Amino acid sequence: MTPTVVLEYAKAGFAASAMIFSASIAAAQDYPQRPIEMVVTFGPGGGADLMGRQMARLMESSLGVSLPVSNVAGASGNAGLTRLRTNPADGYTVGTLISLTVASWASGLGDSKPEDFRIISVVQNSPSFLFVAANSPYQTAEALFEHAQSNPGQLTVATSGYGTQDDVTLKLLAKGGVQMENVPFQAPGERYASPIGGHTAVLYEEPGDVAQFLEAGQLKPLVVFSQERHPAFPDVPTAAELGHDISGLDNFRTIAVHADTPAEIVGILEDAVSGAVASPEWQDFCASTYSCIEPVTGDAAQTMITDFFQLVADQLNS
Amino acid sequence: MQTINLLLAGFQSAFELAAFITVVVGLLVGVIAGALPGISFVNAMAMALPFTYAMGATQAMLFLGGIYVGGVFGGSISAIMINVPGTPASLPSTWDGYAMTRKGQVKRALTIAVTASATGGLVSALMLTFLSAPFASFAMRFSQPEFFAATVLGLVSVIAIAKDKPIITLISLLIGMAIGTVGVDPLYGQARFSFGIPEVESGIRFVVVMIGLFAIGEVVDLVASNRDLRPKKTDGKPERVRLRDILAVKGAILRGTGIGCMIGVIPGAGATPGAVIAYGVEKQINPRGAEFGTGVEAGLAAPEAAKNATTGAAMVPLLTLGIPGSAATAIMLAAMMLQGVNPGPLLFIMDPSMVYTIFAAMIIANVLMIGAGFGVAQMFSTLMRTPPAILAAFIVVLSLIGAYGVRNNIFDVYVCLVFGVLGWAMKRVGFPSAPLVLGVILGPLAERYFLTAVANSRQDYSVFFTRPISATILFIAFVFVLWSLWPTLKSRIGRQPA
Repeated sequence: MTPTVVLEYAKAGFAASAMIFSASIAAAQDYPQRPIEMVVTFGPGGGADLMGRQMARLMESSLGVSLPVSNVAGASGNAGLTRLRTNPADGYTVGTLISLTVASWASGLGDSKPEDFRIISVVQNSPSFLFVAANSPYQTAEALFEHAQSNPGQLTVATSGYGTQDDVTLKLLAKGGVQMENVPFQAPGERYASPIGGHTAVLYEEPGDVAQFLEAGQLKPLVVFSQERHPAFPDVPTAAELGHDISGLDNFRTIAVHADTPAEIVGILEDAVSGAVASPEWQDFCASTYSCIEPVTGDAAQTMITDFFQLVADQLNS
Repeated sequence: MQTINLLLAGFQSAFELAAFITVVVGLLVGVIAGALPGISFVNAMAMALPFTYAMGATQAMLFLGGIYVGGVFGGSISAIMINVPGTPASLPSTWDGYAMTRKGQVKRALTIAVTASATGGLVSALMLTFLSAPFASFAMRFSQPEFFAATVLGLVSVIAIAKDKPIITLISLLIGMAIGTVGVDPLYGQARFSFGIPEVESGIRFVVVMIGLFAIGEVVDLVASNRDLRPKKTDGKPERVRLRDILAVKGAILRGTGIGCMIGVIPGAGATPGAVIAYGVEKQINPRGAEFGTGVEAGLAAPEAAKNATTGAAMVPLLTLGIPGSAATAIMLAAMMLQGVNPGPLLFIMDPSMVYTIFAAMIIANVLMIGAGFGVAQMFSTLMRTPPAILAAFIVVLSLIGAYGVRNNIFDVYVCLVFGVLGWAMKRVGFPSAPLVLGVILGPLAERYFLTAVANSRQDYSVFFTRPISATILFIAFVFVLWSLWPTLKSRIGRQPA
């Protein structure tokens, strides 16, 4: 064991004992008094984990307490949310809530609803793109869509699964006459590698997750599903420009607490998150994953989640 | 040439102080755990798994690799000294090894055993080093249908290897596959067999099943059976062992090594079948075969070499395909996945330094094993005086912490306890638990690869037979089934009047 590991254990041990002994004296006016648990709803190494850890570290300085991270993975993020919902609504448990999990509610998973949580802030947001391998026969979105229109269902698209926003996007495209086959790859590594290895024609993904393949020139973005062109990819047209008005299905990541958390505590957390997002470390981090946004807070954040949930639910049930 | 350079870099990282200590500690833990009857190298690795949470991926593999190598040998210490195999794979070593002890040749028996084991393990580690990279680059051509076929081969060989009771093994495997479906399905994101309980939607993790069955189940059995494990007094004067005593059995060592390397690569096989088959073959080939069982050196050397020769070989399919073939490699897979590392052909391109550090560590571990083996043998009688109840209490507590630590979920602790009780019951009635664990791991893999492959071919199910590599692997799997059923079929046909 390295000294840092021992230190981590000591910290975790302190956090655990602190929680037990001071649970009864939590009050809004002197919040926070003890470490705040950051529940990351996915396993180590993924996008939600990177965000949660980065955020926990940056919030520590303004809150003055440590934010030990626990990864509670499982059920598309719903296992961690169960923990967030069942812990006391005292602001000492915060969690990551991401679009993938909200979409999973729409397809019937978990027993959470948007109104079970108070969104502190939406801190990352990224539209999805269609990517092809650099040597693909379809070098433009027009060529790709044209081929799909004359050969319905022949082109394959690697996605994260059925009943996700990936699936909804493909369904909306099919309604517009561009019919492609959804091929779910559960393991992200296999999904990214599939168009490069020639196993699928297209990849549906947000750019941050395939940044290394974009930099290496192995993947080429063809079209973005968003209202406006992405600042990092000014040459890539939006789907709307090509006659398919598909947006509002972005991949967002938020920091959330139990819905019954007192307003003063939500306010303190909101300030801490805003401070963290403004820091140069965070700006570097979000720039490297093409996911920087102005943080969305308060009712606007709440509406964003509810609208997203409704959009996915309507499309899946139609 | 590139392999040599990467391997040298691997040795460099493996000889860094932290890494080197990790290997040595793992080795010692393995030899001691292996020597304790009732605790096999699989149990020891399952118990050690939680300790790897705090390590990096490479260090975790060095630790588990050390336990694996040490544990497979360690079982022979108690097999030779007290006629109780510390792990099942050491069973053949009791036949001639303990017979030698009774003749007062305990030191000679231990020397031959440790030398044969180290030789077998070393050759196997070298094979792992030089065979993996070419195989991984071949596996780069694999797409979903090929991975599905390879997983099917893994499932089939679990049954094919268990020749004595294929039906029970099949049932165990199927139960495991059924357990593997609990939770969120990989493609549709729907909950299965959750009975509306949110906790169950998180699924049953194979790591937790493994800790329950292998660590808690075994240790409960150890306490419940209350065996007397103190070494019996042997008469006989101190003897001297010379180099030529070992050279005299070099044929047996080499044959055992060859058999172990071949059997180890087959998914589903492992140290135990390797050792038993090597003993059987040596008995046929060796001129003194008829005397086997009375303390013949070759009868000890062959299975010793074979069981350690399976260690490196068994890691070939794990690292190159991400498909574990045995309980021990399944635990290694768990450790890697917990660190966010997915073994498979891509790993050789993404992180070659990690792969070659593991190779180097396996080679080092086998060399150091000679010292560790003798050291533990010296302190063996002291070790045996540890009351099993104290040992058991430690193991149960560590196991439950480990189950919780997988993803900080208290539900996993309950699951672990349920499988602990189940593991004990299975052990009592002789129901094999390793196929169940492999079912929990391989079942979901097979499902995922199958569904993605079918979706990618636009629902064309012939894709598995029209792609050459996939078809070949499935054909091998088919031959395996026939081969394993052949004795049964032959006796059926034989009984039919012509």
